[in-house]
Amino acid sequence: MSASYCSLLYLAAFLPAVILLYLILPQKARPILLLAASWFFFWSISGTLIICLIFSVFVIHGIGLKLDGLKSERDEKLKNPGDRSKKEIKAEYQKYMRRFLAIAILLNIGLLAFYKYMGFTVCNINSVIKLFGCKAAIDIPSYAAPIGISFYTMQAMAYIFDVYREKIKADRNFFRLALFMSFFPQIVEGPICRYSDTAIALWEGKRIRSNDFLMGIQRISFGVMKKIIVADRLNIVIGNIYSGYKNYDGAIVAASAVFYALQLYMEFSGTMDIVIGSAEIFGITMPENFSQPFFSKTISEFWKRWHITLGTWFRDYIFYPAAMSKPLKKLTTNARKKLGNHFGPLASSSIALFCVWLCNGIWHGAGWQYIFYGMYHFSFILVGNIIEPFVISAAQKLHIRRTCKPYVIMQTVRTFIIVCIGEMFFNAHGLRAGFEMLGKILTDFTPSSLWNGTLFKLGIDKLDILIICVALLIVLSVSITKEKKISLGKWIISRPLYVRIPIYYSIILFIAIFGAYGTGYVPVDPMYANF
Amino acid sequence: MEKLIEILEDIEPEVDFTSCKTLIDDHILDSLSIISLIAELEDEFDITIPTVEIIPANFNSAEAMLALINRLQEEE
Repeated sequence: MSASYCSLLYLAAFLPAVILLYLILPQKARPILLLAASWFFFWSISGTLIICLIFSVFVIHGIGLKLDGLKSERDEKLKNPGDRSKKEIKAEYQKYMRRFLAIAILLNIGLLAFYKYMGFTVCNINSVIKLFGCKAAIDIPSYAAPIGISFYTMQAMAYIFDVYREKIKADRNFFRLALFMSFFPQIVEGPICRYSDTAIALWEGKRIRSNDFLMGIQRISFGVMKKIIVADRLNIVIGNIYSGYKNYDGAIVAASAVFYALQLYMEFSGTMDIVIGSAEIFGITMPENFSQPFFSKTISEFWKRWHITLGTWFRDYIFYPAAMSKPLKKLTTNARKKLGNHFGPLASSSIALFCVWLCNGIWHGAGWQYIFYGMYHFSFILVGNIIEPFVISAAQKLHIRRTCKPYVIMQTVRTFIIVCIGEMFFNAHGLRAGFEMLGKILTDFTPSSLWNGTLFKLGIDKLDILIICVALLIVLSVSITKEKKISLGKWIISRPLYVRIPIYYSIILFIAIFGAYGTGYVPVDPMYANF
Repeated sequence: MEKLIEILEDIEPEVDFTSCKTLIDDHILDSLSIISLIAELEDEFDITIPTVEIIPANFNSAEAMLALINRLQEEE
């Protein structure tokens, strides 16, 4: 099976078949069906590598129970501490629990590192060996990684951290934990769920309600529209410019950077619509991964709206533990006394933020351009934090209201440009190519190539641009309603049938007529599936 | 309570901590203030604030913070 949720096989065969069986089976058997379907789905993409997924479930299930056992033992001892202090007992058990936590981290992250980063590590070791004039080199290993390994590893780690922190109790039911880890709509590209988000609801096997079903189908249709009409239509032109950027001037390269940012958003958020819609059919509410990211005024805000579940994962499991570590807390206290209330805590939080963005870059891929991508965003957030007090005081002195429309529009456009440049490095064929493309934009910018026909020879024509603009307008309108906390989906299903039917037909016709499929188009692969 | 208010006023001097109940919800205390505050509270009250306790409900008002401090002191 293809890893794409937009394939006919998934939308017209696999998902309907699972829904049908789910409707037929009694409530108790439904979670087992979902687990069987999820493992079949995973196996059909990654074959025997499903062993890696099951191994991860075994590890977190076993270690989770061990951690819970240690906690009960500790609590018993705390009731009758004898001649020992409570602090001593707590410290002793924390030491044991940390050992098991370390084993869970080692096994899960170790597997991820083996599959995802071995090639990159060996490549860099070879470069160092070469630097010392040695001709010997290690063979670069090449093997396929299990699909979605970065996503389910994050889920596994979140589960074990939450058990360790006593936020949740370990799950005794292996199969419930397995379903939480493997649920088929989310296994390829997330969202990265927490145990408390979905595990219990998934295992309930609730009846499919007509409202959930309709909302799910509507959401899936919206996702398919984003993917087929915009992301796939832009695929060829982006491929042509990124691989042959040396032949084009800066305006064409800049256009490709904007196209790529739009494609990435349409593909990833479109897939999330299909994923969240699929889960909604079964009555499962998944966390949202996007919240109108291109309305952001700063890079910091952008990352609160883009790939939200990844951002919150890094916040909860990297940023806070790092910022709350003993050395950084000490640094906060000392720096605050010397540098004041803004720059004091900023010093220590910047170190924690650096760790977050290094991990974020590495998570996105094994390559220097991804590490650069992480550092690029870190730099903008850091600079934003540093200059914030100066910007506020400058705006006051110049009598500029920071909430007025022109100022907000300027901030939004600035953030969009920064994001497009960042994504350009992200998609460039290596770090050097990224810098060369940026160089072209800055030194060889000929705006006329956007309308003199040059752009239209690269796999996109005027009609394509028109269709994309219409689709973008629809997405923009939906985004504005979402920003105003209005649910268009709920509004549609609350309308009478004679209003709903024409709406549904229009959506289907729009996708069928203007979708970029068939000869002359190459559908874009799931862009986040390989992360 | 007095010591807590003193710490809070040192971090954010222009806020009335005795009456405000939406310190986090209204973004009066941002992430930088929270980082400073936790470091100060841990030093002053000899407690360890675990990351699971860093939730809006525990930091929205001075009363909520005091309740957290008392609870953690009892558990220590």
